[in-house]
Amino acid sequence: MVEYPILNNHKQDPKFYSLANGLRVALKQIQTAPIVSSWLWYGIGSRNEVPGKTGLSHWVEHMQFKGTKNFSGQEMENTIARTGGYTNAFTSPDWTAYFQTLPSSALETSLRFEADRMVNSLFDPEEVETERTVILSEREGNENDPQFLLGELVQQAAYQNHPYRNEVLGSKEDLINLSREDLYQHYRNYYQPNNAMVCLAGYFDENQAFDLIEKYFGSLPSFPITWSIPVEEEEITDAKTVELIGPEDANFIQIAWRSPKASDPDFFAYTLIESILSGPSSLNMFGSGGIGNRSSRLYRELIENQLAASVNGSLSASIDPGTYTLYITCRGDHSPEDVITKLNQVVDQLLTKPPSQNELDIALKQARANFAYSSDNITNQAFWMGYASSFADYSWFKDYVNRLQAVSVEDILRVSRKYFDPAHRVTGVYRSRNGASYA
Amino acid sequence: MLEQTVAKKALPGSDSIFRQQYPNQTTFLAYPNLTSPAVYFRGYLPVGSVSDPAGKNGLANLNAAMLSTGTDKHNFRQLHEIIESCGASISLSAGSLSTVFSGQCLKEDFSLILELLLEILSQPAYPQNHLERLQQQLATVFRIQAQHTGEMASQAFDRQFYREHPYAHPELGYAHTVKTISTEDLRAFHQNFFGPKGLVLAVSGGIDPQTSAHLFDQIFSAWQVPEQELQQELPPWQPLPQQLREHVPVAEKSQSDLIIGTIAPTGMSEEYQICTLGNNILGQFGMMGRIGESVRERSGLAYYAGSTLEVGLGPSAWKIAAGVNPDNLDRAISKILEEIKRFIQEPVSQSELSDVKEQALGSLPISLETNAGIVRYLLSLQRYNLSLDYLRELPEVLKTISAEDILTIARRYWDMDRLVIASAGREL
Repeated sequence: MVEYPILNNHKQDPKFYSLANGLRVALKQIQTAPIVSSWLWYGIGSRNEVPGKTGLSHWVEHMQFKGTKNFSGQEMENTIARTGGYTNAFTSPDWTAYFQTLPSSALETSLRFEADRMVNSLFDPEEVETERTVILSEREGNENDPQFLLGELVQQAAYQNHPYRNEVLGSKEDLINLSREDLYQHYRNYYQPNNAMVCLAGYFDENQAFDLIEKYFGSLPSFPITWSIPVEEEEITDAKTVELIGPEDANFIQIAWRSPKASDPDFFAYTLIESILSGPSSLNMFGSGGIGNRSSRLYRELIENQLAASVNGSLSASIDPGTYTLYITCRGDHSPEDVITKLNQVVDQLLTKPPSQNELDIALKQARANFAYSSDNITNQAFWMGYASSFADYSWFKDYVNRLQAVSVEDILRVSRKYFDPAHRVTGVYRSRNGASYA
Repeated sequence: MLEQTVAKKALPGSDSIFRQQYPNQTTFLAYPNLTSPAVYFRGYLPVGSVSDPAGKNGLANLNAAMLSTGTDKHNFRQLHEIIESCGASISLSAGSLSTVFSGQCLKEDFSLILELLLEILSQPAYPQNHLERLQQQLATVFRIQAQHTGEMASQAFDRQFYREHPYAHPELGYAHTVKTISTEDLRAFHQNFFGPKGLVLAVSGGIDPQTSAHLFDQIFSAWQVPEQELQQELPPWQPLPQQLREHVPVAEKSQSDLIIGTIAPTGMSEEYQICTLGNNILGQFGMMGRIGESVRERSGLAYYAGSTLEVGLGPSAWKIAAGVNPDNLDRAISKILEEIKRFIQEPVSQSELSDVKEQALGSLPISLETNAGIVRYLLSLQRYNLSLDYLRELPEVLKTISAEDILTIARRYWDMDRLVIASAGREL
């Protein structure tokens, strides 16, 4: 085994290793409860999909629950369930991850199943067809939500070619046309030890855990991967507007700006801009909710001034430059244009003068609190080891608060001017066909 | 044996849970998680939407929202600037029987947040401009809900299931009732029902229970409201006269939502534990139990399909829900009814029973992984009047439950001729 040179000098820090076949391993001991959260991350998501084959990564994720040469899907599910633990998986634009949080005594079960389905999944043709209707049904459920439909249009407008423009679920057309062979090839190509990372957090003996990982994953071969790597798109080319008309009895707005990739030093200033503008994003994927946004600039201007019913922002850490998107629900007594006019004033202010030091200090305290809440449970701690490693390394997460504290009010102004140019954004409007009255 | 003792001790119990009732009839519960730099809290006052006056449905919910729009000491901006500038949160909402408050903060700010919580609960200002703003926001919410198939199916279910019972009304109220609520209505509601009597607060996090209890006592013991009224007792739920079906048409939706349900036991009785095991077999275990296996895995009819057993002090429902393509709605209903029939015709298998028992035992420490999970458990102990050693005693209770017990209970609660079937989506 090879120990990574970072972070191993502190008792609270995880330890990082890699096996001879390229599998990366992160182990973080937390001795508060006899449970462990076991994650397997793959560096594959919709970011690596090509036109006509969207939705492959997500569908492969579904098929990983359908059985291998050694275990049926039901056997795997039921064995995990019997331990009292829970299991799930996620597909994102950048990665696919599988996890189980379960009693520590069941750690070996988790590792055995994950190693097995890394190479032995069947992709039974009948199961592929059953799952096609399940995934179409998942997409149809999302399509019931006007914000999903608008979001899909906004995201397509935010990128010319980069696959971040595509919905992770895939387009309906592609979901109808993808074949079993497409899925299986995608699986064989990307599901390999040299494109994966095992992350464990919780109550376990480090040496025993490492031996188990070596036992189940150490003999799995790695082959060269045929990559589809997209070209980064640094900026939204111009000011774009997309519109949708539908049956909902309300109007919605989404506005997207380009955000820096997570490994870009500007990402930290951008995080604080988000906090000032629309409130801080929670770092806690699995625990209790985050901090409100009632003292944010947009809440004050749009909600307190009675123009909109709700406003929220969303910023994610991603490999390539991403998007920061605002989601606004308009009130019936104001048109989307009224709301956008006020919003433009708020953004203009961001471009003309830096925030006060007090405003920045509040954003920093919120970030510190969010960071503390993120350590509330071990599932979230295991999540962050893998997530941070998908776009940088764990030091990104560990140094998160320090990096934010180094941001000055001048940095905020500089980064705002760089990214919040009104000539480079997408404005999406969903208009009610029923014609809301703006009187 | 030693391992079992250690495992039992690892669960919260009478030697590790702090519970104290105070002279003003407030109750405080705490459990330490000293490695946590934060504190999570949650509590309730025993007044909810069942106390909404006639024609004012939604009053308890609107009151909960209005509480944090300003107090006698701090206006809206000041209040939220204080809370958010320390990275904390305080949320309020109203359920059928209670007004619930929850939040989290760094442990150094707990005293400040507790003081603000009391201020919010005891000295609301009810500013007129914020009432109008919230009424407008709710008007938007009602319009959005009308297009939401899940919400419409849920409301249809409640209408059919509860009929004359107060639970038939949505806690949010209706557009036409919410707009008639005035600041006088809110003040009267607050004056009648808000006070320390029956208030419960539970805390878990990085402050030891004695210290947090001392803070609670210091801050909350000053709250005295001798004239505080208690919520009236609920009327009994009337059994369903027959199978009741309602479909709410919602145009241009790709998916329909479906709920099929029956009555559930009240509180967390032993009968409830039998139902929990049965429910896990029916629609939870693995990929959503028998329902998930039949509707999703074998038939590919739905992305989600499973069952839930609600728990409450009042009547509550045992529900099966699924999201399906409108063309498959009838097939999904048939599949679910087949599974209910099987559930009441034959005992569950020994392997199914053993699966869910093992799961129930193994999940005990996992359900307490977070501060929020611990606090929810503490509140259940109080709400349902359970022993502080409830979790430690649960394994013995589970051990005695048999397949025949589940069949008996299934037959008691599921009657094929007295179900509610509610759905929403494309016109039938």
